[in-house]
Amino acid sequence: MADQFPAILVLAPLFGALLLGLVGDRDHRLCLPVVAASLGTSLYAAVGLLRRVLAEGPVNYFLGGWEEPLGIGIVLRADSMNTPVLVLVAAVALLVACFSRRPAGARDSEKSPQYYTLFLLLCTALFGITITADAFNLFVLVEVSALSSYGLVAIGSSRRCKIAALNYLIMGTVGASFYLLGTGYLYLSVGSLSMPDIQTILASNEAAASSRAVRTAFVLMLVGIWIKMAFFPLYGWLPNAYSYCPSATSSLLAPLMTKVSVYVMVRVMTGVFGLDWIFGHLGWNHLVVWFAVVAILAGSILALAQRELKKMLCYLIVAEVGYMVGGAWLGDAGSWGLTGALYHILADGLMTLTLFLAAGIFAKRLGAIEIGDLSGLFRKMPLVSVGFVVAGLAMIGVPPTCGFFSKFYLIRGGIESGQWGYVVALLVSSLVNAVLFFRIFEIAHFGKNPPEGHAHHGESEGEGHEAAIARVAVPAHALAPLLLAAAGIVLLGVFNGPVVDFLRESLPAASAAAPAP
Amino acid sequence: MNAKVSATIAVIITGAVLLYGVADFPDFGDPTSPANAGVEGGAPSASLHFINESYKETKVPNLVTSVLADYRGYDTMFETVVIFAAGLAIFVILRNLRSDDPLPEPLPATEDRFIDGDHQRIIVGTTCRIAIPLVQIFALYVVAHGHHSPGGGFQGGVMLGASFILVALGGNLRDALARLGEDTFMRLASLGILIYAAFGLVPQFLGRNFLDYGVLEKIFLTDGPEMARSHSMLGVEVGVALTVMSIMFAIFANLSSRGEMRGGL
Repeated sequence: MADQFPAILVLAPLFGALLLGLVGDRDHRLCLPVVAASLGTSLYAAVGLLRRVLAEGPVNYFLGGWEEPLGIGIVLRADSMNTPVLVLVAAVALLVACFSRRPAGARDSEKSPQYYTLFLLLCTALFGITITADAFNLFVLVEVSALSSYGLVAIGSSRRCKIAALNYLIMGTVGASFYLLGTGYLYLSVGSLSMPDIQTILASNEAAASSRAVRTAFVLMLVGIWIKMAFFPLYGWLPNAYSYCPSATSSLLAPLMTKVSVYVMVRVMTGVFGLDWIFGHLGWNHLVVWFAVVAILAGSILALAQRELKKMLCYLIVAEVGYMVGGAWLGDAGSWGLTGALYHILADGLMTLTLFLAAGIFAKRLGAIEIGDLSGLFRKMPLVSVGFVVAGLAMIGVPPTCGFFSKFYLIRGGIESGQWGYVVALLVSSLVNAVLFFRIFEIAHFGKNPPEGHAHHGESEGEGHEAAIARVAVPAHALAPLLLAAAGIVLLGVFNGPVVDFLRESLPAASAAAPAP
Repeated sequence: MNAKVSATIAVIITGAVLLYGVADFPDFGDPTSPANAGVEGGAPSASLHFINESYKETKVPNLVTSVLADYRGYDTMFETVVIFAAGLAIFVILRNLRSDDPLPEPLPATEDRFIDGDHQRIIVGTTCRIAIPLVQIFALYVVAHGHHSPGGGFQGGVMLGASFILVALGGNLRDALARLGEDTFMRLASLGILIYAAFGLVPQFLGRNFLDYGVLEKIFLTDGPEMARSHSMLGVEVGVALTVMSIMFAIFANLSSRGEMRGGL
């Protein structure tokens, strides 16, 4: 059983999806139990895999039993870099599934079997992307994730969400094509699709490593992944797609799609081409860091300009992607930037989940789409507010939330590699986040037009000098995922030491460096 | 900057990058190129392994099929899932499930919108009646013979789907839906992948890894794991064909009736 965890992880949601495809529209009440059972199985397998990797180190799973020679079959590989991401994906998907009792707009709620089928296919693909050790298999699963997410976005009832989905489809297809082209160039140059095999070849064979085709392959794959993760100049599809789609969809896509793409970038950098090759053969890693600086600043400034809550959160994602790309490309000797980027995948996944769940609750229960609609929020929904405030503080980077520690590691990487522009951008972005969230907290606490001179911090206990505002009931299935995610933010921050030590096991340059604080 | 200029610049940059890389490509058809013979320092070449060993290991003469359906069967299963997801996405976008909604306009549900007069209808109808069985038999041959000659589940499935589309084109969509209803084809699409995945799952219960067909010799009672691999490949091709056929027809039916399924072309 334990041997089969890598396959069970990917297959449980696939079988769930097929089951829903077969019998889902007989009885819509079957949907949620099937989704919960298959994602629960995946979570169990992901945690089991994590424990196995902790105990024995990396685990390889040879599909079809094709073990020798390496590269004829497809291998799944779980190591200390991807098992935390797998657990994150499983946990987030399970929480969103609980949250999504009525996924689509009223008009499309009769399509919930199809909605949940796509939901599970997306989870299957995200697990598969994260665990595969084969460059082409990664492309196939990226396609599955892309097609199912187009459907999940387009199911919303409004017209503009169909247009957003069309934009997303075009950009997503371009991104996937770039990645595929890059894989083709790479295969022509090294004759292998297996990630560890390619890395061995590039490390040992100078002719292959210095080939222009391999460099082109790297650039193409990288640009493809950047489009998928909405890295700064290529982010155009994201804000509309994530803010106009149903809340359950945005709560699933926003925390997972960009983060898994960042993981893919880190995997391609460390596990396919290798950091030595990247920092040895390419002279432009500083340029990428500067792009990241622009991404962080632009994302933050655009977020300031938004009136809609979800739009603002979308631009914050663009900034956060800048954090992670910049961190991964710092190239400091101790790999602290990469560590920060990997840690931030987990941290940002939880923060984004909490914020989008909260935004979904606001939109549904209060009809609040714009930030200005949130006045009196703290008294209307005290528990939801707690979760929202925790996530907001984490975005700003207040200890002991995980947002503080990811910034700590990223800044450490920035200082050690001498990339001061990146350090400054991170600090500016934290300030902007502070402005953004305290503005919301102020509206939530004092109402839309706060009296002059008040600079209260946005904690949830109100003083009650205004007329009593009626509480708005939030059902448990929406509240529980939000609070669990908020608890995850704090826990991930408190236990950052062991998590970071574990993540760093997979980083080649990190082994010689000092242990985590 | 207007969109055309920026698009042109993007295209030129992409083209330049692609050409930059092409300069270092191995010669066309070079037997010693990395993809054909492997590279020094890497694992032994997968291509050579497929060419030399695949018949011994799988008893499938068509090595394209053995690579697709066995060595890289996991990829092929997800390619089928891609098609399934595409069909579902089109369904959720187009399909109108509210039968009480008024039809957008009296749809050309009858035979005489595109075809004037009885004699043309006879020509088209008769041609379709003759062609459809032949198309379907050939499609079944392509599916069933995929591991011996060019073909396989994707190609055969497309042909099967096309035969149902031909029913709709030659007559009307209602006739086609009477033969292959929406309930049926949406379920067949899931069933196809389920068949594929079952060939992977059963080996897991027999103590091997996912898609390790060789162990199925205990079930197929073949002499040796190689023939079991060959039989399993036929099985998964059938699954692929079912999904591809259903989704082809599902996409056509949704598009041509604007998601109404109550008439249309």
